[in-house]
Amino acid sequence: MIASLAYVVTPAIDAPELRWAGLLLLLPATAVLLAGGCAMARVRSKLAGWTTVLLLLASFIITLMLYGQVQHPVTVELFDWIDFTWGDGSKFHGFSANFSLYVDSLTLFWMLFVTGLGTLIALYATEYMEVDVGQGYTRFFAGVSIFLLAMSILVMAGNLLMLYLGWEGVGLASYLLIGYYYTRPSAVAAAKKAFIVNRIGDLGLALALFLIWDNYGTLDFDGLFQALAHQPTTWPDWDVAAIPYLIMLGAFGKSAQIPLYIWLPDAMEGPTPVSALIHAATMVTAGVYLIARTMPLFALHEMALPTVAWVGGSTALLGATIAVAQYDIKRIFAYSTISQLGYMFLGLGVGTSFGACYHVFTHAFFKALLFLTAGAVMHGFAGQLDLRKLSGIRRIPGFGLISWTMLVGCLWLSAFPYTAAFFSKDEILAQCFIGHGPGFEFLGWMGLATALLTAYYTFRVWFRVCAGPVHFEPGTEDHQADAHSDQHEIVHTAHGHSPVAGATSHAFHPHGPRWAMSSVLLILAIGAVGAGIPGYMALSGKPNWVSQMVAHSSAVDAAGVTQSHDHPTLIGFDVHTGLTIVGSCAAIGGILLAWYLHLHRRKSADALRLALMSHPITRWVTIAAENKWYVDEVYHAIFRLPLWAGAHILAFGDHHFLDGVLVDGLAKLPAAAGRVFRPLYGGVMQGYSISMLGGIGLILAWFVWVWTSRG
Amino acid sequence: MTAMAQRIDQLWPELMVLTGAVICALIGLSRQRSMRAAVPIVAMVTLAAAVLIEWMRPNSGSESGLLFPSLGHYVKIAIGILGIGLAAIGAGHMDRKFEAQIALGRVSFDPLRVVRGEYHAFFLFSIAGVMLVCGASDLIWLFLALELVSLPTYIMVALGRSNRAAQEAGIKYFFLGALATAIFLYGFALLYGATGSLDLIVIRDWLSVQSALGGLSSMAVLGLLLSTLGICFKITAVPMHFYAPDVYEGASTPVTAFLSIVPKFAGMCALIMLLGTVGWNGHSITASDGVRIAYSGLPQPVTAVLWMVAVLTMTLGNLGGILQKSIKRTLAYSSISHSGYMLIGVLAGPGAGFDALFFYLFAYGLMNCAAFSALASVERRGNDVDSFDDISGLRAKQPLAAGVLAISAGSLLGLPPFLGFFAKAYLFMAALEAGHVGLVVIACVNSAISAFYYLRFVLVPLVAPPSARADELAASNSAFPRIAAAVCGALLLLLSAFVTQMLGAASRASSGYTPVAVGDSAQDSVQSARAPAGGDANQVVVDSSTRHP
Amino acid sequence: MLPLISTNMTAAAACASSCLAQIMPAGQAQIQVALTISALLFTCGLVGFMSRRNMIVMFLCTELMFQGAALAFIAFGRQHMDTSGQVFVIFILTVAAAEAALALGLVVLLYRRRATLSAEAWGELGE
Repeated sequence: MIASLAYVVTPAIDAPELRWAGLLLLLPATAVLLAGGCAMARVRSKLAGWTTVLLLLASFIITLMLYGQVQHPVTVELFDWIDFTWGDGSKFHGFSANFSLYVDSLTLFWMLFVTGLGTLIALYATEYMEVDVGQGYTRFFAGVSIFLLAMSILVMAGNLLMLYLGWEGVGLASYLLIGYYYTRPSAVAAAKKAFIVNRIGDLGLALALFLIWDNYGTLDFDGLFQALAHQPTTWPDWDVAAIPYLIMLGAFGKSAQIPLYIWLPDAMEGPTPVSALIHAATMVTAGVYLIARTMPLFALHEMALPTVAWVGGSTALLGATIAVAQYDIKRIFAYSTISQLGYMFLGLGVGTSFGACYHVFTHAFFKALLFLTAGAVMHGFAGQLDLRKLSGIRRIPGFGLISWTMLVGCLWLSAFPYTAAFFSKDEILAQCFIGHGPGFEFLGWMGLATALLTAYYTFRVWFRVCAGPVHFEPGTEDHQADAHSDQHEIVHTAHGHSPVAGATSHAFHPHGPRWAMSSVLLILAIGAVGAGIPGYMALSGKPNWVSQMVAHSSAVDAAGVTQSHDHPTLIGFDVHTGLTIVGSCAAIGGILLAWYLHLHRRKSADALRLALMSHPITRWVTIAAENKWYVDEVYHAIFRLPLWAGAHILAFGDHHFLDGVLVDGLAKLPAAAGRVFRPLYGGVMQGYSISMLGGIGLILAWFVWVWTSRG
Repeated sequence: MTAMAQRIDQLWPELMVLTGAVICALIGLSRQRSMRAAVPIVAMVTLAAAVLIEWMRPNSGSESGLLFPSLGHYVKIAIGILGIGLAAIGAGHMDRKFEAQIALGRVSFDPLRVVRGEYHAFFLFSIAGVMLVCGASDLIWLFLALELVSLPTYIMVALGRSNRAAQEAGIKYFFLGALATAIFLYGFALLYGATGSLDLIVIRDWLSVQSALGGLSSMAVLGLLLSTLGICFKITAVPMHFYAPDVYEGASTPVTAFLSIVPKFAGMCALIMLLGTVGWNGHSITASDGVRIAYSGLPQPVTAVLWMVAVLTMTLGNLGGILQKSIKRTLAYSSISHSGYMLIGVLAGPGAGFDALFFYLFAYGLMNCAAFSALASVERRGNDVDSFDDISGLRAKQPLAAGVLAISAGSLLGLPPFLGFFAKAYLFMAALEAGHVGLVVIACVNSAISAFYYLRFVLVPLVAPPSARADELAASNSAFPRIAAAVCGALLLLLSAFVTQMLGAASRASSGYTPVAVGDSAQDSVQSARAPAGGDANQVVVDSSTRHP
Repeated sequence: MLPLISTNMTAAAACASSCLAQIMPAGQAQIQVALTISALLFTCGLVGFMSRRNMIVMFLCTELMFQGAALAFIAFGRQHMDTSGQVFVIFILTVAAAEAALALGLVVLLYRRRATLSAEAWGELGE
């Protein structure tokens, strides 16, 4: 069993010579300050954007330098932060959480793509956000810098409290950036939703922190891992066993997993670079990082990792089924993000940290690429994102690059054979069949079904938008107007809709991206291709960069350990070979289906939909899928309504009883007491002198009384 | 002689500040406006130079022959930094109407009518006084330094603005201050009578011998109490706090800021030095069966008195603050209650208590600096703002001032992200460690009560709609108070990340203090003399060479 | 009024000095007398400060207290055969002179505003 594993993490060594790694926190902080300075000086140029890009680039370079320096887990003390002791100052009589960095290969792995992608996406945004120059431009880059600062703190934290600081920081940055278009009620609502849903997860993480301190007396990663390595193997009490589940809750909130995934689709209200950076590539993978980082804690209960696997697998399938029925491009990509994050958790749960982290890595590239292309489309077509209203943009001048890079992204997302995502997904699914756990094999088949759906909905977008005859309807004026359509509208227009072809297109000239956006798209496409290299090596059984990075960290790759001696098979072949065959079939089958329904005979898709709608059973399925399985509504009924009612009842009691009788009554006491002493402050000097001397007299009397009454 | 040279070597910051004071007094009378305008800058620069000198100097530590050898290092730097803030608050405030008229050409320059130079000279004198308090080796020095702190402030209150309220405040402050001085002077006399020396270290040795041989003499304790109560005036503690609301209200805003910080620093240092002579251990109480039980801490009756003073100070301060309409009066009560909190640190004693106390002193100074600089950065028809009506809805006109006011109030209240929270937390933790649980409970209740009036500093400027009076608000003529407000407000937030370092610096302030004399030649000679001291005058002969080591 | 005040003063002073005599070590009579007088001076000053309204008289009362303390210093110096008490007195005199200058300046300033020396005329601040 997994729980009986002794997770031995190499003890970290103190490396004061690496103090310059603190620059990784200092540079984004400087970017925040500079952006704030630009805002205060009311700079009406792109200055803030370029300072951010340059500082983030410097941050990336420093990460590279650090990568060259660190072979072994190290801790770097930056400065003392919190250091309390009480009593005798022994283990449980003190709390210290200093500003220190814990740098191992996992940290570096994460930092490389966080700073790298951060730089690229900030560069993209300098052009993308230019319509807002002089208005929100500076604010946007301040938000991006805050995010990068918080994310760096989260990833490089030397203790769980600092990680929590970064955790809340990325939540704040996410809130600020989702609500970037704060004049739009939907953006404000989305920002609030993201913040509140994340709060539920954060509560879990906070409770986990309390329990960890309570049981192990430290929050430092190094100390914690060593304490865990030396603990007895007997099953712990509930307060220890609860720790992995609470951490899980935090990870599920941040990484949008069941049951807390509902905020991510709405988060697409933010500007597209934000969706790409925060809500696809980096921040949402913080949950994966958290679990990978605290992997030794997941040995504390035998069902902890299987739970992660089941939640991940279910989320992957659920996200894919919803994505199939959406029309908004960004929304489809949002659900695909949820689905892919599900794969990562599945990988963590079944014991291949390598697969999960590798999938994080490949996903970061292709999903950022997809969002940025979607953003470029949105940018060019004045906010139009409905895939029914765009077609054949491949042939519109300036959109060729977008279409082809998007094709790369789509191929990767659908795990086309021998692309990077194919390898990473293969790694995860193979472990499902190799590893032993409750229903892992079923999860593997579920993952394969999800792969089929993924290929279908991905190419549904590409065939609809980029291929086919040219026609488009531009969105409403500015590109920030309408990022997603209301789900009720979908139901209403569902009956026999037909987009009005090119009705308004004659007056509108779509504009393609210029060099900043184009070059970023190209770099990302190349990066996505390059991300496949470790996969080739893994497939041919050679040690590769990613697996080494993951294996020499606290995200102990359980795959090697749990591998049993019997050789599991899939459809008669070795698991990896079998998966290559089945996975390729799923991907190509999905693409072919999409080709038939959305390019070859587009009418057939509508016909199929009508056919489904006409049958009473399938009708329900269609509508429910288009409405995201009504999860929001169910949550509304189960949680929000009772809470709303309860809050009103409590508010009534609070207003009339607590506030009216208790608080106001209590509040009158100090004021009344204050009034008693008022005459003493009469304003006449003699009065004061008499009060003073009287006071001295009384105190001396008290003194004499104490003096004489002692022993 | 070398000892004297050493002492002078420690006085460079004071000399710097005194020189600056003379320069201020001189150039304040210049005919050129630009020279006169440079007075506050000169004050700030000299303070900065003094801080720098003290910062650069290695902490000379134990060889200086003081009861608290390292106190000066911390206090000089802290008061210097706060002094820069206070000077910024007052920059452009003195003579502003007269200077405005000169600028318009309505009147010609008249050296008899300007006070800016004198004001800043007194300002620096008073700060030099605080620095000197920490260097006091004997009661004469302590007395003179305390008077150097106080005398200039009497004038500053009366000069600060030319209305009746300021003059009334000046006269009240002066007379009651003189009364308090007389009281602690008489206390000094009794202390001298009980020990036969003015040197603080010799007094400490004598008293520790006394308490070891059968308890402190009544005269020593009475002297100690009278001096403590007299010094309570400087730290606005009960029962000597009655002047504070009136004086704070009457004085102009920069002067009020000054009064709330500088005399408190001096008073706290003096209090610690005086109580340091009686020591925090080596005392005992006699149980009912005649067995003497040794315990650490101040002598029990002194503890009882300080306990009562602390409780009354915070309670009366907070209760008084609730009913006020004037901002400065409210801040006066707030200042009173904070003295009560600081006395908790005094009671908790050397080690954690003093560390927390010195940290608290600086944090408190910074919070008050922030609050008063926010107030000083706005004016209404050329006058200081005073009632809460004036700042209602301040956010619309002066968002910076409104924000900083809210931050400082949050910090004074002790809300978590701000510096005030950590200061209070350390103070309460030290008190808990020293076993003063009841005191901490009372202080917590008081903190809750103080929310009644501190939250007004948040709600009125940020939430309330602008009042008719607030329409006449304008930014003050000088940019310095705004800069000070921004810097202090930012520091209140940022320094929260560096509390451990600050506590470390504060803990060095009381290092080197030993509550009882150990293995000293003075100790031996004192022990050979008959105790308790002040017994028969003829027989108390202490070799003068040991008295001045 | 005046006799009443002086009676009060004397009674209080006598009370204070007898208290002081209680805690004072028995011994040399001269020092005893000097200390009693110092306590008397101090108490007179205190009572006068509280009871008189004229600002100049009030100031003189604080001077009285200062001198009481100064006398105590001299007496104790004599008791301990120590000169530093007398040194202290010189400084007390200096500070008292500085305070006198300050006080008179302030009183003149106030007198110019309102032609009265009564401290009660200045009671606008307060609650």
